[in-house]
Amino acid sequence: MPRLLASALSLRRDPRLLKLPPYLSLLCIVVGVVWLFLLPLDDYSRRTYISENALLPGQVHTYFGGSDQNVFRAYKHETDELAGKGNIEVNDKLESIAKGLGLKVGRQNFTYSSAGNTHSGQNIYAILQAPRGDATEAIVLVAAWKNVKGEPNRSGVPLVLTLARYFKRWSLWSKDIIFLFTPDSIAGPQAWVDAYHDAHDSSRVASLPLKSGALQGAIALDYTRETRFQSVHIVYDGVNGQLPNLDLINSVNHVAGGQMGMGVAIQEMWKHSNSYHDRLQTMLRGMLKQGLGLASGPHSSFIPYHVDAVTLQPFGDGWQDEMAIGRVIEGTFRSLNNLLEHLHQSFFFYFLMQKERFVSIGTYLPSAMLVAANFTIMAIALWVKSGQPEVQKVITEKTETAEEAEKLALPNPHAAMERDLFLPLVLVAACQFAGVVPLYLFNHLSESALIPAFVLFTVLSAILPFLLSNLLHTSATSTTTQQYHLIRSFSLLLLGMFLSSLATLNFSLAFLVGVFSAPLTFVRPCPNSPILKWLSMAVLYILSPTTVVFVASVLPDLDEKVGCGLGEVLRQAAFAWDVTGTYTPVVVWCVWWPAWIVGVVSVLGRPGAGDGKVKNA
Amino acid sequence: MNGGKATLGRTAGLYAGAAVLRLALFTLFPRLPDLLTGRVEISTPVTSFKRLQEGLFLYNHNVSPYDGGVYHQAPLLLPIFNLLPSFATFPIFTYLLYIAIDILSADALLRIAESGEAGSSARFTSPRRDKRWSGAVIAALFLFNPFTIATCIGRSTTVFTTCAILHAIANAISGRHFHAMVALSFASYLSMYPLLLLPPLVLLCYDRQKQPATGAPNAWIKFAATMVMDVVGALAVLFQMSFCLTGSWEFLSSTYGVQLTLSDLAPNIGLWWYFFVEMFDSFRSFFLAVFWLHLSSYVGGLSVRLRQQPLVVITLLLGIFSIFKPYPSIADASLFLGMVPLYRHVFPLLRYSFVIAAIIIYATFLAPAFYHLWIYAGSGNANFFYAITLVWGLGLSLLVCDLAFAVLRDEWEVERPEMVGKEIRQI
Repeated sequence: MPRLLASALSLRRDPRLLKLPPYLSLLCIVVGVVWLFLLPLDDYSRRTYISENALLPGQVHTYFGGSDQNVFRAYKHETDELAGKGNIEVNDKLESIAKGLGLKVGRQNFTYSSAGNTHSGQNIYAILQAPRGDATEAIVLVAAWKNVKGEPNRSGVPLVLTLARYFKRWSLWSKDIIFLFTPDSIAGPQAWVDAYHDAHDSSRVASLPLKSGALQGAIALDYTRETRFQSVHIVYDGVNGQLPNLDLINSVNHVAGGQMGMGVAIQEMWKHSNSYHDRLQTMLRGMLKQGLGLASGPHSSFIPYHVDAVTLQPFGDGWQDEMAIGRVIEGTFRSLNNLLEHLHQSFFFYFLMQKERFVSIGTYLPSAMLVAANFTIMAIALWVKSGQPEVQKVITEKTETAEEAEKLALPNPHAAMERDLFLPLVLVAACQFAGVVPLYLFNHLSESALIPAFVLFTVLSAILPFLLSNLLHTSATSTTTQQYHLIRSFSLLLLGMFLSSLATLNFSLAFLVGVFSAPLTFVRPCPNSPILKWLSMAVLYILSPTTVVFVASVLPDLDEKVGCGLGEVLRQAAFAWDVTGTYTPVVVWCVWWPAWIVGVVSVLGRPGAGDGKVKNA
Repeated sequence: MNGGKATLGRTAGLYAGAAVLRLALFTLFPRLPDLLTGRVEISTPVTSFKRLQEGLFLYNHNVSPYDGGVYHQAPLLLPIFNLLPSFATFPIFTYLLYIAIDILSADALLRIAESGEAGSSARFTSPRRDKRWSGAVIAALFLFNPFTIATCIGRSTTVFTTCAILHAIANAISGRHFHAMVALSFASYLSMYPLLLLPPLVLLCYDRQKQPATGAPNAWIKFAATMVMDVVGALAVLFQMSFCLTGSWEFLSSTYGVQLTLSDLAPNIGLWWYFFVEMFDSFRSFFLAVFWLHLSSYVGGLSVRLRQQPLVVITLLLGIFSIFKPYPSIADASLFLGMVPLYRHVFPLLRYSFVIAAIIIYATFLAPAFYHLWIYAGSGNANFFYAITLVWGLGLSLLVCDLAFAVLRDEWEVERPEMVGKEIRQI
């Protein structure tokens, strides 16, 4: 053992070891990315299964239908009358209907302001008290008056009213059922859920006049079409990439696909052949949505409060009618009603590849962790490198002072350069704090000023590295190689640390930022080779945060239309920040952008002679 | 950073800067103090400001502050906070009190640094002692440490203990034994564990006496006895005052009893809570004894081994306490990290400085993330957070070990000059 240790220790000083880290980093990135592309294969993904035995999805007979069809038509007639009317008038009508059914009704006003716009409205909700329960638990059925695209929820609202009337007749509910109608799909549910958990800012969002027990689950219905449909689309992405418990999705899948015999789609994959390509596409779409962290429907706001929720969207032309989706909801609610405790058995971190195939966190997390680890490896390598004296050079230069030379001539494996930490620390810290400026700017400007501000900021952030680089050189002492090593080391250390922390919260965002900033590991000051320098600069500028945001905004989105445009992206980002608390902008401006600036500065660097004192340890 | 002697103006500027920064954080971000007060990394059951408010409310309504089992802090804190204008209407006075305490701590640290005790004690003079930071730099590193700032903004009552400990050390170095012992008594009265610092502190006082001990063989026994009597006397006075204040001895079991028996198992960054959550009740008292024995066992060993440098013993003990005490928080770590720069002269001998810094920074960011996953998102569980507290403990214990190694190596090179620069190999 001692011999092994000794040989390991002697290996530690092998100069070849220091050449290794860049290749190791590259290997980490390559393995991390390849890993991701292996996930859709059968060997790495698993079939979904129900973990929570109490759910028993699809085991009960559903009775919704028959005369309820007539009730639905009547309610549809009533709500069609309300089309184009104001929020308050709509709620007056809904309140009279709900009260007619014998439900307790509450209303809540909310006002959000974001990017100079005001988003206000009034939520209305009705509580069905459980005949067999004690009001300690509740499940929620949400119908937004308009869906995320702004289309009116024509069949959804009357269907929820019909279900309310239908559920009221049953005596088997052991949990309260809350029927929530919101004017829009994001701000309304957010205000309601915040207030339900008393986490609202009471100057903007009113408190709820009546409440029920702890929310156990929520289903939102986004049913805009008025004709028969073929399949149901399950939307499950929550704010900041949080996902509902997989058991909930599986239950809906069981009820809809198994019991009702309708198709089930996820991630806007209207056709899914279960091939590698389709699985990969589904997974990548899921990752992109998770990475952006935006709310994707009325259910999204529930998930941060640990309330598992999904939105159901009927789509396609087929022979399923409103009663079928009603029965899906009935079946799912019966399952949720069975729950003895909060959904906790199954996975909270997963990627769905297909409605019945998923990978869990244990399988995919190494991918992002490897990408994040590459930065840490390089940071450690650069730290070690910064401490290594260039022994030969120092000896030849400094043989005048006999004492020094004697010391240096000794084979002294402990010799390490005194590191000058001050400048690197200050530079990296300053860049890190500078990230607050764009974050503040883009979340507080009014809508019209967003695009000019973005253009101005892009130009400034492109020039900033040049200014910083010049500043480093005009300062009294020229910046040394060692200091450049340390600057890069600290910056990469921070980046690696942020990304590995983030990977546990939002895998996709960490992975995407990690891949985009992968070149930062490899760029270095190259004063002697202008080609290499300008090549690195080109790569860095193409992968800069501002370029990526711009390109993402003009690229066509999933529906193969033209991109939504820069203004819309910035407005949505500000809205998400102000209303749903999406933290993606923080990651972009306070993690990625500072690392990028430091990266460009170090490419531009012209290190002077590194001539530090050699210390003995 | 190797500045010369700190001038008065420079020090005053430093303190003003630290005060302005804290005041700005208090006033510009009005929600920050409450946010930080609620963090388990900052507020433990025995230092939480929220619990202090509860105790204060009960005290003001003539109910025993220990009723309800929420308040576990020393009774004398209550009249102090009661003297201040009401926190609900004038929070600024509380803020100013906390800022003043931080600056007093920094001032004591500055005095410790200026004395040069870290580099050359009475019995040992390090050959590297010339390489040191001025007191102002060390005070600045303490004052602008994010952990210290977060503790101050989170208004944890640990700051009073920190201040008392630093003043005890500073007074011991400047030869004012009685003051040192009274300060230590205050620290022990507030948090109990500083009592373990008594042996090294007595050694420090003994070494820094104005008149070196005369030849009398048992002079040191007499000296130590005087010191111990000082502490006992001061503690007796404090306890008597507490008794008069609350009208019963209930406070003993509610403050020190909670620390001794770990009856409040709220999660914190220490290593105890998880262990005792998982434990069967029948083993509880045994392991409590073991854990406390472990914590106190370092005192004797370190005091003997590092007899020549009592300040090092105190520093290492503070590090060990910040890992192994029952309710640690980042405030304890900030005190330890504030003392570490005193040993600038042995920094070149540290072997894992980068690893330690990386571990501590990683743990600092991962702990809130995992706590969030456990408590709020519900997608993680207690093991996530406990794993990170282990990492945090690993980082700090590496620093304690590495510092001990560096100091011992420094001593060793004086004893055996021929071994300077030679590698140490473990056999």
